[in-house]
Amino acid sequence: MGTVHAKQSDAPRSEKLKTHPNPNEDSHHRSQKKRVTLEGIRARVDKIHVDGLGRTKDDIIIETVRELFKAQDFQDVIVGAHTVRSRLEALGCFRNIGVFIDTSSGPDSTPEGLEVTFHVHELKRIVGGVNTLVGNNEGSVVVGLRMPNLFGRGEKLATEYSYGSKRTTGFNVCLSKPLRGKMHSVFSTSIFQHGSEWPPSGYKQIERGLLFDLGFSSAPNVKHNLQWEASWRDLSCLTRSAAFEVREQSGPTLKSSLRHILCVDRRDQPIFPSTGAYFQLTTEFAGLGGNVGFFKNDLTLQGNWPVLNDVVLQGAIQAGFLKRLTNDQIVSICDQFFLGGPLNLRGFDFRGAGPHSDGFAVGADAYWATAVHLYSPLPFLSTRGAFADLFRTHIFVNAGNVGNFNLGDDYHENWKILSKDFRMAYGLGLALRLGQMARVELNYCIPVQIRRGDQPVSGVQFGIGVNFL
Amino acid sequence: MPSVLLTESISVELGSREPWPGDVKFFQPYLMEQILLPDNANCLAVQAFLKMCELHFTIENRWNAEYMSPSGRVPFIKCGDFLVAELDSIVAFVGAKGISLTAELTGTQKAEMRAFISLINCVLGNAEIYVTWKDDTVFNEVTKPRYGSVFPFPLNRILCWQKQKKNLKRLSMLGWGGKSLEEVYNDIESCCSALSERLGRSLFFFGEHPTELDALIFGHIFTIFTTPLPNTVFARIVRKYSNLIELCKAIERMYFERREPELVP
Repeated sequence: MGTVHAKQSDAPRSEKLKTHPNPNEDSHHRSQKKRVTLEGIRARVDKIHVDGLGRTKDDIIIETVRELFKAQDFQDVIVGAHTVRSRLEALGCFRNIGVFIDTSSGPDSTPEGLEVTFHVHELKRIVGGVNTLVGNNEGSVVVGLRMPNLFGRGEKLATEYSYGSKRTTGFNVCLSKPLRGKMHSVFSTSIFQHGSEWPPSGYKQIERGLLFDLGFSSAPNVKHNLQWEASWRDLSCLTRSAAFEVREQSGPTLKSSLRHILCVDRRDQPIFPSTGAYFQLTTEFAGLGGNVGFFKNDLTLQGNWPVLNDVVLQGAIQAGFLKRLTNDQIVSICDQFFLGGPLNLRGFDFRGAGPHSDGFAVGADAYWATAVHLYSPLPFLSTRGAFADLFRTHIFVNAGNVGNFNLGDDYHENWKILSKDFRMAYGLGLALRLGQMARVELNYCIPVQIRRGDQPVSGVQFGIGVNFL
Repeated sequence: MPSVLLTESISVELGSREPWPGDVKFFQPYLMEQILLPDNANCLAVQAFLKMCELHFTIENRWNAEYMSPSGRVPFIKCGDFLVAELDSIVAFVGAKGISLTAELTGTQKAEMRAFISLINCVLGNAEIYVTWKDDTVFNEVTKPRYGSVFPFPLNRILCWQKQKKNLKRLSMLGWGGKSLEEVYNDIESCCSALSERLGRSLFFFGEHPTELDALIFGHIFTIFTTPLPNTVFARIVRKYSNLIELCKAIERMYFERREPELVP
């Protein structure tokens, strides 16, 4: 922000800016607008008022606004006020934060002093709502109750009950607390119960557990999450005709695992980005307690390059590897990797690629999948209104492989093993953005490389979800 | 009692067209650490029955046999693509293949046999569940450690508690919830004396050859007098009926030689 238009001072706006008398400026007239540069105008903040606090404690407010005192000139004050405003918003305690900057007056004021006032409205004690949520190829209704800013320092207690279109039900109680410090860390703990059915594999599971999560950013756009999760999974067969290999895994198992999720998002927007890269690495170690033990890695990498005017070329890779630890520790079918479906390998049924037993997908220890897309906005539209901007057309090629690979040390050998019998499909389709989080796709797919036992989808395929390959 | 669902009777019908395969598997929980009195009785009964029919099978011990079973109870057998659980369903399944131990019985005898089978299931079966899950001493000293032995902490406690609740509810629905231990012993006493009286001096209940009734008696009585429990009254009651003990020993000799040491009384 190098230049600001200065208007007549009695314009009715919540943000009022008064400049110091600038020797370069002429007298103000009502209709005259002059470009005023604010660099070099010395200013300092004498006082900061935060108006409208109720139950929020003073210490976190002081810590959030403190940096504004370091401002040396007017531009710093404006930029700083904006930053502090977004940090106050990020605390999750307030809605409607207004900023008011005025020259300071009174006994302690300095000649260049400014007073900055933040008008905040605290959120109500209990907020409830009914939302819809988009998950993995299903939509769900979520009824939630939230208590924001519980003890005055941004703590939040939320309970949610969700019911999904694929008969998944979930119940979740989550308590989160932002921690003070430079890394914007948030500590949260939750208790959950989640039931889900997986007809392509023939089982249903009920997962009950406890999760502790510490999230922090070590650099801008780099987010870490350190988690410990204990979960009791109860698997049972959906039908009498489920494959025996799946039936053998019925019963309760207890998984206690440590997980680290590293996420670097440099894209300009999460859905339909036009530039930037995205990287996510999840590392999970299960085995401290419980009877499930494995070491699992899951990687997602996406890059976007603008090609012509509005056309974007996107390449993405997803890969995962699971290593069993000891023989007494179980790896259940719900820990395995599956491939296929509109969210990862288009052109195949959900969980349709990979090892099958009696027609039911049993999953495997490792997989890789890549896709290359060419996105463009709707063609033949002269005006690009907001509605048309929600759509994209795309052509894609995607390939992948899943299996229990025995990888050794030789790269060349490993490459041959991984690429033997891989699956591939290409096609084109239409994608629609839902809000900023989810996407709906309608594709026409042509699977070209299929292996015996796979379930390809040749023709129209519909998908809805958050993370697409 | 078997649950008669349409799909089950269809599958029994379909299965009957094929002869008994060579790779039939019999699933039960782990014998040394896990299995409990009622399950052991049922598993032995089915094993005895299959051996009496001279049908070959291999035993597979699984920690989650109970969860794998299509009916939720052990034992169950995997015969090709078919899974059949519990004695009554297995007898029907085998019968549909033309193999039966009761082919020469008259209608009256068959009805009598079914009545006795029902008596054993209702009295001895429920008594075993009572002693295992409702009696505090046995529950704390035997049942809890054995049932939870295959699960990690804290799952062993939670699952054991869940199972106990389920079994107590079942007992109270069947009218056994209000019974005291004394009443249970009296019931066992009268059941055993009825069986003993009917058996008399013959070796098996019906003629020269054993039937599924003999297999069921073997399963329950043998398990009761060979399982060490802190509460020995149960075993003592059963030992009084020497003809039932003779029946069990005969079946063990004929069909179960070369068994694991833990079955030797």
